Amino acid sequence: MAETTLHPETTARRKDAPWLTLKYREMLEAWLFISPTLVGFIIFFLGPLLAIVYYSMTEWNLLTGQATYVGLKNFHNALFINPDFWHVVRNSAIFALGLVPLNMALALTLALALSRPFFGVVFFRTVFFAPVVTSAIAWAIVWKFLLQGEAGVVNQMLAWVGIDGPNWLREPNWAMAAVIVTRVIKMVGLNMILYIAALQAIPRDYEEAARLEGASRWQVFSMVIWPLLAPTTLVIMVITTIGSFKVFDHIYQLTGGGPENGTLVLAYYIYLQGFEFFDVGYASALAMIMFVIVMMLTIVQVFLRRRGLG
Amino acid sequence: MTGLALKSLKKRFGSTEVIRGVDLTIDDGEFVVFVGPSGCGKSTLLRMIAGLEDITSGELFIGDRLMNDVQAAKRGVAMVFQSYALYPHLTVRDNMGFGLKVRKVPLAEREKRVAEAAATLKLDALLHRYPRELSGGQRQRVAIGRAIVGNPDVFLFDEPLSNLDAELRVHMRSEIAALHNRLDTTMIYVTHDQIEAMTLADKIVVLRDGLIEQVGSPRELYERPGNVFVAQFIGSPRMNILPVEAARQLSAGTAVPANAGRVGVRPEHLALSPALTAGLRGKITLSEYTGAVTLTHVETAGGQTLLVVNDGNGDHRIGAEIALTAEGNTLHYFDEHAKRVG
Amino acid sequence: MTRRQTNILYRTCWTIALLIAAIPFIFPFLWMVSAGFKSVTEIFGAPTLIPRVWRWQNFVEVFTYQPFARQYFNSLYIALAVTALTLVISSLAGYALARMRFAGAGLLMLFLVSALMVPEEVTIIPNFFLIKWMGLMDTHWPLILLPTFGPHGVMATFLMRQYFLALPKELEDAGKMDGLSRLGVWWRIALPMSRPALAAVAIITFLFSWNLFLEPLIFLSSLDMFTLPLALSNFTDTYGLPLWNLQLAATTLAVVPILIVYLIAQRQIMESFALSGVKG
Repeated sequence: MAETTLHPETTARRKDAPWLTLKYREMLEAWLFISPTLVGFIIFFLGPLLAIVYYSMTEWNLLTGQATYVGLKNFHNALFINPDFWHVVRNSAIFALGLVPLNMALALTLALALSRPFFGVVFFRTVFFAPVVTSAIAWAIVWKFLLQGEAGVVNQMLAWVGIDGPNWLREPNWAMAAVIVTRVIKMVGLNMILYIAALQAIPRDYEEAARLEGASRWQVFSMVIWPLLAPTTLVIMVITTIGSFKVFDHIYQLTGGGPENGTLVLAYYIYLQGFEFFDVGYASALAMIMFVIVMMLTIVQVFLRRRGLG
Repeated sequence: MTGLALKSLKKRFGSTEVIRGVDLTIDDGEFVVFVGPSGCGKSTLLRMIAGLEDITSGELFIGDRLMNDVQAAKRGVAMVFQSYALYPHLTVRDNMGFGLKVRKVPLAEREKRVAEAAATLKLDALLHRYPRELSGGQRQRVAIGRAIVGNPDVFLFDEPLSNLDAELRVHMRSEIAALHNRLDTTMIYVTHDQIEAMTLADKIVVLRDGLIEQVGSPRELYERPGNVFVAQFIGSPRMNILPVEAARQLSAGTAVPANAGRVGVRPEHLALSPALTAGLRGKITLSEYTGAVTLTHVETAGGQTLLVVNDGNGDHRIGAEIALTAEGNTLHYFDEHAKRVG
Repeated sequence: MTRRQTNILYRTCWTIALLIAAIPFIFPFLWMVSAGFKSVTEIFGAPTLIPRVWRWQNFVEVFTYQPFARQYFNSLYIALAVTALTLVISSLAGYALARMRFAGAGLLMLFLVSALMVPEEVTIIPNFFLIKWMGLMDTHWPLILLPTFGPHGVMATFLMRQYFLALPKELEDAGKMDGLSRLGVWWRIALPMSRPALAAVAIITFLFSWNLFLEPLIFLSSLDMFTLPLALSNFTDTYGLPLWNLQLAATTLAVVPILIVYLIAQRQIMESFALSGVKG
């Protein structure tokens, strides 16, 4: 027979490693491929996640650096004793309830306007998305400048049209509104892009069929497009809601949680307790609570998706 | 010698057994075709031979080497894929030479072998092109060329023609047959198309649900199918299967084996005669004229529809009462387990 | 009105509405640049978009007030390091999750998915002690390690996995038959065909690292080690009040190069973000 050039060796199974069957070789290779991710994940994520459970049940002595086990005292503190906690939860809820609907409504409106090619569409998309690639700190610095009291650009411009603008960042309610609106402007481009992608994936036939049957623009939207967007809306809603719980740098730079703790939200509160007041146990309990909230939101999403698909 | 031996090969994915114990020997230089309905495991079996799927149990020998745990690249086999699997970022020349390059074959040798393969397959003019610039048939040839340059002991083909149009398929079929004649290398070919199987194979392996139904030459499978499944799978249109009582009506005085439960007769072996003559009575329900032959659907008194293939001569109107006859030696008998009798 | 006229009216209304909506998106950038060129007195005078006196000096003082060049460089090299590491690690793991069969794959996926949604704020406290214990405080290591291995790295892994899943598997089989090892298939077949996904991961990872704030805030203490966002935040006087013109000049220097790259590659960048969101 013809000489074989491809494989000079004729060992059936490797003599040095008889256990190395094809199946085990593949498994071994797979774990090697994954190991960098996995090791890093355990050290910097899973480990800390477990550690926080322990931390949250301890009280730390700042002088000696020693931790004493105190059971659920930190949680008890947060939920029943410290009035700040509920204030912070309320602020986080207001922030989320203000930001999410505003962001999504604006994102969808912009996406509807910009999902079809027309003159200027690239310009508008580029403009609305630009803040997304900008650093949150830079964005907050500029807005803090624009929203100053009487000297602020926004108020001076309002004065031209006869409106006496408030001192945006110094009055609790106005500060919350300002924080929400500037955050929406910063992030709405991302959801707009997701909505545009979803809209472009809807075949035009549906819309054309509906138009042929005499549906108005509004009917086409409410009876055809909106239902088809439901899965995207769900994803965007969850991502945006969880994102609103994470917001830190924006508030740090714009208001520092003030005035009168009017914009003090959970992520910022954790930072303050942990790294400004060094109350590690309490901060860890807060982090646990945040983790539970985020997990619950995720589970709700999974549940809604299953039901949507079923 | 590079024959192959498969000894009770099994493959499990999770809890489903896809290959349920296959025993088969393939001789050196033989052209073997695995054929069967989709999901029968023919592609999985080929991929197990290639080394792309691991073997759950059993033994696989290529030549006299046990190959169960040898990596695909070291088995001395080459494969032609259904989608051709040409690397989109490499030219035809680099696609064909890729395996040699990976195996560190010197440049001069590599060029020589690619040039040889290109000459045999008439690809010389296309060597600098990228796969996306080639037609389906050209891509197919490059895929074959890539397999040839490695000088493998065994060629494996995984439904290589199923992405081509009908005309090209017939043409490439003859090219593959010519290739086998020239190289005289063992080839294993998977298809669901029985015409491909019949025309190319020295030996056909009919698979169903992960088991071999029958192994034999195309003529053996056609003339002596081992069971009802093979009888109906090989041959087009498929064989008519009737209760055994029909045998004597079809062919008066024929000897029916004692343990036969059913009788099979191929559409091309049935003859139509006027209702007055002896035979199996029926009524014509449909007549399909295709040019060379005519397919006639006949409903028997028992409510069964039989297919008849003939030259279409003779006036057989729809609704006409007719009688069906067949030569005694064209009848196939099967017992109650659907196995061949006699 | 004819149908055509209604359409034109409809279009015009939309365009005007969009132009008005665009104001709060463009305006901050314009004011940022403008105020960066103004003197302190002019900043607090009547607002004008074009500075009366162009004070180029601001951009010199930015570099003398803080080691701004050094801080700029820090941000750049850290972002590049995070991007390179993330590309390698996430494409390796993503490939294994997409293509290889191994015991524990399902459980592993579940673990990783759970990480996707968890904010950094949850794990930052134990990570602080971990980094301290490792002796890496006030170094750039935590800024490279935490983003690479945190939720962002997991997101990149899933993005790569999703892309690998859509690649034709037979090509990789052909590679194996041609004699490539697993690593070879990954490097010479899977990666060259995944350029769009790699570009997307590179873009969002670079920006993620470039804009990172919480980690630098917690782990860095010396000015020389600062990254840009932290440095920007630090343009304040001794009372903690912002030095507006310097701060905005520095912000301009930090933001404008990114905006220029964005304007050149806006399509690619937006697609990258769309890809990262869709996988969720």
